[in-house]
Amino acid sequence: MNQRADSEFPSVRITRDTPVGYELQPVKKRAVIQLMGSRLWGRFNPNHWDPDYADSTGLDAPIQTGEMSSAYIAEMCVNHFGADLFRNARIVCKYIASTLANEVITTHGVVSAKTPEGDGYRFKVEVWCDNEAGEKKTVGWVEVSVGG
Amino acid sequence: MKETTAALNQLRPQSAIQAEQTRAFIRGLEQDAETYWDMVQVGDELSRDLHMTPELIILYADGVEDFNPWYEAWRMNSWHIPGESPFGGAIVPPLLVSHFILSVQFDHTRPFAIGSIHTYHDSEILAPIPVGATVRITTRAVDKYEKRGRRYVRHEADVVDADTGTHYFHETRDILSL
Repeated sequence: MNQRADSEFPSVRITRDTPVGYELQPVKKRAVIQLMGSRLWGRFNPNHWDPDYADSTGLDAPIQTGEMSSAYIAEMCVNHFGADLFRNARIVCKYIASTLANEVITTHGVVSAKTPEGDGYRFKVEVWCDNEAGEKKTVGWVEVSVGG
Repeated sequence: MKETTAALNQLRPQSAIQAEQTRAFIRGLEQDAETYWDMVQVGDELSRDLHMTPELIILYADGVEDFNPWYEAWRMNSWHIPGESPFGGAIVPPLLVSHFILSVQFDHTRPFAIGSIHTYHDSEILAPIPVGATVRITTRAVDKYEKRGRRYVRHEADVVDADTGTHYFHETRDILSL
């Protein structure tokens, strides 16, 4: 059985003992225009991959689908919560600014609350994505049950 | 064309024939398109089935450079494999089905206007989805509203296993319509 998040990176795994204030380790991604415009992602909308079209609609550059930054946040959370993220978890994201082609996006997460639940805890993590200038693009929160 | 647009075009270099193919593709997308706002009535319910094939999962994960082996039921050189995860075989990334709700919530047989923006999602991940499952995505239009001069369409969506009925996922989501 593959236990990547549990065994390869044990130091980042959130357990029932993890305190409020714990900072999740980020993941970092460049908004690569070829990935933004791939068939499964943004190909159906040239605002996601064509600079000329984006310019014609008033955008400074092609923009990522918001769901790509949600996927980055989910990747960070799987690194820390492992299998627990796949059962009775919640991810809420609001896209407050566009992610532009070629920006480098970093995810962030801080444990903001832990509430007793059964034999474990319900963790709440404030999450967000920002660019190199620290401008927030996506904000939200995640809830995951651990150790129950 | 702005200088920045010219610079951005260098991120995606094209020859003359590629540029013409791109323009033709975009012209096709723009034909007879309607806005989401006009296409949707509150109460609309739509449903489609989607097979979680190993190749589909790889396409999704590669697009966001997520190389977690839990999602791999297809690997170069080996091709189809059972995969491994804490749940046994390979599983689907946690928000993958969220990405496909858009294909259900609007009538996919009619062209819809490009330029709308996904602004919000509240996603409940209820159970892991095995790679190989067929899921049924059902969406309901629950609200259309205007805020600060912008038009939004709100949907609720559920994802269940088409064979077993297992409830995998629930989501509320907003689209800002043209």
